[in-house]
Amino acid sequence: MKIIVAIKQVPERDAQVRIDAAGKWIEEAGLQWALNESDAYALEEALQLKEKHGGEVVVLSAGPERVGSTIREALAKGADRAIQIDCANLGNRDALSVAKLLAAAVKPENPDLVLTGLQSDDLGLGQTGVILAELLSLPHASLILHVEKTETGLTVKREWEEGWFQTVEMPTPAVLTIQSGGNKLRYATLMGIKRAKTKEVRQVTAAELAVDSAQAVVLERVALPTKQKSTQILPGTAKEAAAALVEKLKFEARVL
Amino acid sequence: MCGLPAACRRPAPKVQCLLAQRFSAGKTPTTGDGVPLGTAHEEHPRDSPQADHVLLACLKLGSLMLSLNLTLAEPQHFSLVEKLLLVALVVASGAGFWLRFGTVLDKILHSKKDAGFHLFPIGKRIWDFVWEVLFQAKVIRQRPLAGLAHALVFWGFCAFVLVTLNHFATGLGIGFLDPSGWFGRFYFDLAAAFALACATGILGLFVRRFIVRPKWLGEKLSYQSGIIAFLIFLLMATYLASFFVADTDPAARILWWVHTLALLTFLPIIPHTKHLHLVLSPATVFLSRGGFSQIPPLVGDEDFGLVAGTDLTQLVSLQAYSCVECGRCTEHCPAANTGKLLNPKEIILGLRGYLNDLSPAAEQPLLGKYNSQEAVFQCTTCGACEFQCPVGIEHLPILVGLRRGAVNTGAWENDYGAKLFLALEHGSNSLGLPSSDRDKFIAKAGLPLFDGTQEYCLWLGCMGGYDPKGREIIADFARVMNYLGASYGVLRKEKCTGDPVRRLGNDLLFQQLAEENLRSLAENKVKKIVTICPHCVRTIQEDWKEYGTPPPVEHHSEFLARFAHKLPSRAVGHSSEGAGGFNPRRSPAAQKGALAPETTSSIAANVPAHSLASNVSGHDFSRADKAANISGPLGPAGNVTSPEKIVFHDPCYLGRYRNVYDEPRAVVALAGELVEAPRNHERSFCCGAGGGLAFLGEETGERVSHVRAAELVATGATTVATACPFCNSMFRDALAESGDGAPQLMDIAQLTARGLPKVDAS
Repeated sequence: MKIIVAIKQVPERDAQVRIDAAGKWIEEAGLQWALNESDAYALEEALQLKEKHGGEVVVLSAGPERVGSTIREALAKGADRAIQIDCANLGNRDALSVAKLLAAAVKPENPDLVLTGLQSDDLGLGQTGVILAELLSLPHASLILHVEKTETGLTVKREWEEGWFQTVEMPTPAVLTIQSGGNKLRYATLMGIKRAKTKEVRQVTAAELAVDSAQAVVLERVALPTKQKSTQILPGTAKEAAAALVEKLKFEARVL
Repeated sequence: MCGLPAACRRPAPKVQCLLAQRFSAGKTPTTGDGVPLGTAHEEHPRDSPQADHVLLACLKLGSLMLSLNLTLAEPQHFSLVEKLLLVALVVASGAGFWLRFGTVLDKILHSKKDAGFHLFPIGKRIWDFVWEVLFQAKVIRQRPLAGLAHALVFWGFCAFVLVTLNHFATGLGIGFLDPSGWFGRFYFDLAAAFALACATGILGLFVRRFIVRPKWLGEKLSYQSGIIAFLIFLLMATYLASFFVADTDPAARILWWVHTLALLTFLPIIPHTKHLHLVLSPATVFLSRGGFSQIPPLVGDEDFGLVAGTDLTQLVSLQAYSCVECGRCTEHCPAANTGKLLNPKEIILGLRGYLNDLSPAAEQPLLGKYNSQEAVFQCTTCGACEFQCPVGIEHLPILVGLRRGAVNTGAWENDYGAKLFLALEHGSNSLGLPSSDRDKFIAKAGLPLFDGTQEYCLWLGCMGGYDPKGREIIADFARVMNYLGASYGVLRKEKCTGDPVRRLGNDLLFQQLAEENLRSLAENKVKKIVTICPHCVRTIQEDWKEYGTPPPVEHHSEFLARFAHKLPSRAVGHSSEGAGGFNPRRSPAAQKGALAPETTSSIAANVPAHSLASNVSGHDFSRADKAANISGPLGPAGNVTSPEKIVFHDPCYLGRYRNVYDEPRAVVALAGELVEAPRNHERSFCCGAGGGLAFLGEETGERVSHVRAAELVATGATTVATACPFCNSMFRDALAESGDGAPQLMDIAQLTARGLPKVDAS
C-alpha cells in the first residue's frame, strides 16, 4: 500500500505570535515551528497501516526551506521518503493554490491512499484536503478517526458531533482528511533521526510542477483576538452556587 | 584471656622441644632465640571473643603470640613424590581457575570499549581503592556487623598472601620465610592473629547466611557459600593448629597438606561462583566511571544505549561479573521494597546470565529473556543501589543504559511516556502546560526578569514555573532573596532541563533540551544559577556537560545555608521581630495560616492567594492541590511551648547525587528542632518521583511515597521539610491520606520565609 501524507509546518503551539508590519501575516523571525497536529495523526495512521499491511509512506510538504525540519521529523517517525515542494510561505496562499501544488506532486506517484490533516492549526481553512481530492478526481471522506483496509477498499470511521460516529466503506485510491485524537502518537527517537539522514527528500519547485498557482482568494488582514475576560462569581451558599453553575453550564455554555 | 597471668607462669614444653629440633636441623643457628622461652605456653584462649571485641582481641592475641614466641610448624623436608604431587595439584588447580577465569576475562575484554573513560585524575581512584577496598570502609559503614566480619576475612586474606606464597615455596624446598627468624616469627604470629579474626569473621558470616538468613540474600540458600565458608575456616584452622604441633610431628605434615588441598580447592571455585568478586571487585572499584550515576555519551550513529550484547561495554561486563550477590542494592531499593518487579541485583545478574549464555558479540536483545523492560522502567534512579554497592557496580548507567536502548529505538511503548516526550518535543515543560502559564506566574508573583546585570539567575524549573506548590516555593524563596538583598532575575523563557527524559533514556530529546537551554543561558549572559529543584541542579551541572559548559549552579539549600547568619533564627526571628502579629500561643504553622502565599510571601502578597493557586491545569500535579492546605492550622502544632519538631527528608538528587546533607539541615535548624527519619542522609528512602516516574502514572504495588511519608509521620514531627519540589508533590498526596493529624509539609525555603519579619504588602 502506497500512502502519501500531506503535512504542513505551522508555528509551535506555545509560540507567541506577533502580527508583522504590513498586518498581512505574522512575524516569522524567532518563531519555532512544528508539525500541524492533525497532520501528525494522519502520519500516525499511515505508519500504522504500513506496519499492518506493508508498503510505503511518502510525506509531502510545501513551503520554504524551513519545512525541511518538519519533513525530517516525519521521516524520523518512520516515513520512507519525502517530497518537498519549494515555494514561498503558505500563510497568505489560499487553499486552492496549495492544493494545486500538492495534486501536481501526488499525481505521478499514483498512491493507493492520500492522507492529510483535517485542517491546519494556523489558517484553519479545512479545505486543502478536500480540494486536493477534487483535483485528483478521487473519492474522499473527511473527519476520519480510523482507517481499516478491506478486501475491496477501505472502511473508515468518521466523527460526527455529540459523540456520534459514522462508518463508511469506500474504494481506493482515496483521499482522507484525518481528525486529531484517533490514535496515540509515537515519539521521535534517536534511531529514527539517524535513519532519517539517509532517506530521500526530493525537492521540486512550483515551476517544475507546471502549476498555475494564481490565487483565488487574497488575505486582507490578520489580527490577534481581543482579550475579553468574563469571570462571574456565583453568589450564595455552596448549594445555591452549584445549582446556578449547573444552570449556566447547561444553558449558557451548553456543555452539559 | 582473663586467665593470662596464671597461664604465663606455666612451663611450655612444646616450644622448647621445637627449638631443639630447629637447632638440630641447623636451620636457625642463632643462639639468642631461646631467651624468652620460659614464658611461652601452648594454650590458646578458650573463650570465643564477642563480636564487638574481635578487633581488640586480635590485637591482644597478636601481641600475646609474639611475646609467647609461639612458632609455626612446617614440615621441613618433602620427598620428590610429594613435590611432584604438589606441582601437579597446583597446575590442576590453576588450570581449573583459568579455564573459567580466562573465559570471563575474555568476555570482559571483548566487550565494547567505554567511551569517555579516562583513567585520570587518578587520585580519586586511588583514594576509593584504599578506602573502599583496603579499609573496607563502605562495607563496614553501611552494614557494620556483617561488614566487619567481611573485613576480617578480607584482611585475613591480605595477611595470608605472603604466608601462602611461602607455604608453596616451602613445599618445593625454597621457603623464604623462616618461622623462627625474627621476621618470620613476627609475620607468622601476626598472620595467626589475622587467621583467628578471619575464622571468627567467616563463622559469623556463615551463621548469618545459614541461620539468620536476611531476606536480601535471596530465598535460595547458596550451598557454594557454605563450601567457601568451610574452606576458609579450614584454611585458618589448619594454619592456627600448626602452632601447636612440632615440625617433625606427622600432624604437622597432615595439617600442611590439608591446608594445601583447601587452598587448591578454593582457587578454582573462585571464578565459578560469586566469589569471583575477590579477583574482580578491586579492579571494579578502581575503574569506576569517576562520578555518581555517570551516564556515558553515545558514540557514532549506531549507538542507542544498551540494546544488545554488542552494546555491553567493558565496564558493564566487568561489573556484571563482579556482583557478589549481597543484595544491598535490593535492600535499599524503593521499587523492590514496595512490591515492584525491579530488583537491581537481578538486573546485574541478568546481564551476567546474558554474557554467560551468549557473548558480548551477541545480537539478541538484552531486554526480554534476561531482563524485564517493565522492571527497568520502575527505577526511580534514586541511586541507593549504586551508593550501597560494595563491589563498585554502577547500577544507574546500566539501568538508564537499558532504558536508552528501549527508548532510542522506539521499543518502549508507554502512553504516559509518549505523552511526556511529545509534550517536550515541541513544548517547554514536562507538565505539558502552555509556556504562557509561566509568563503569567512571573508577572503575578512580580519576579524580576534576568537582564544580564544580576548576580543570580533564579531557575524556576517545570515545578517552580508551573506547579501550584512549586510556585509557592519559588515565591517564598524569592522573598528570602529579597530580604537578603540578593540580586537575581528569572529568564523570560526556560525549557525543561531534560531531567526526566535523560533518566528515561530519550537522548534525542535530552540533547535538544540541553542545547537549547545552554544557548539561551549563554545569550542571556547567565553567570550563576540558583534553583529550588535538585533534579535541575544535577542535570544542569553534570548531564549538560556532554553538550557544552553550563554556568555554575547551586541548590537553594546551599544558598540559604551560606546566608544563614543573616537569616532570623527561630529565637531571634519570632521574639524580636515578631511584633508584626506573632502570637506566642499559636504555632508558627498556625501563624502562617491556611493560605500559604498570602501570608508568607511578600511577592505573592501582592496577588490574591487564590490566583496563585488557581492556575491549576488538568495535570496530575495539581490533583492534590487541596492538600496544600495541610500546611494550615489543622496541623498538630497547635500548642507550642517547645520548638517545633521538623523532620527533614533528604532528596536523592541533593544527597546521594550531590553530597549535600548539612546545608538543608542548617536551614531547617533555623526554623525549629531538627529530627531525623530512620533512614536519613545517604540512606534516605526515595519519594518515588525520580527517573521520570512522576510522569508515568500509577505504580504497581505499594506507593513509594506512602511508605516514606508513613516513616516521616512516625517520627512524631509536626512538620515535614522537603528540599525538592518533586518530593513535595509526592508527599502532598501521601500526607493528604493521613487525615487531620498529618504533619504540615513545607519546603526549606518556606520554613525560612515564615521566619522573616512581615512586610506590609501595600
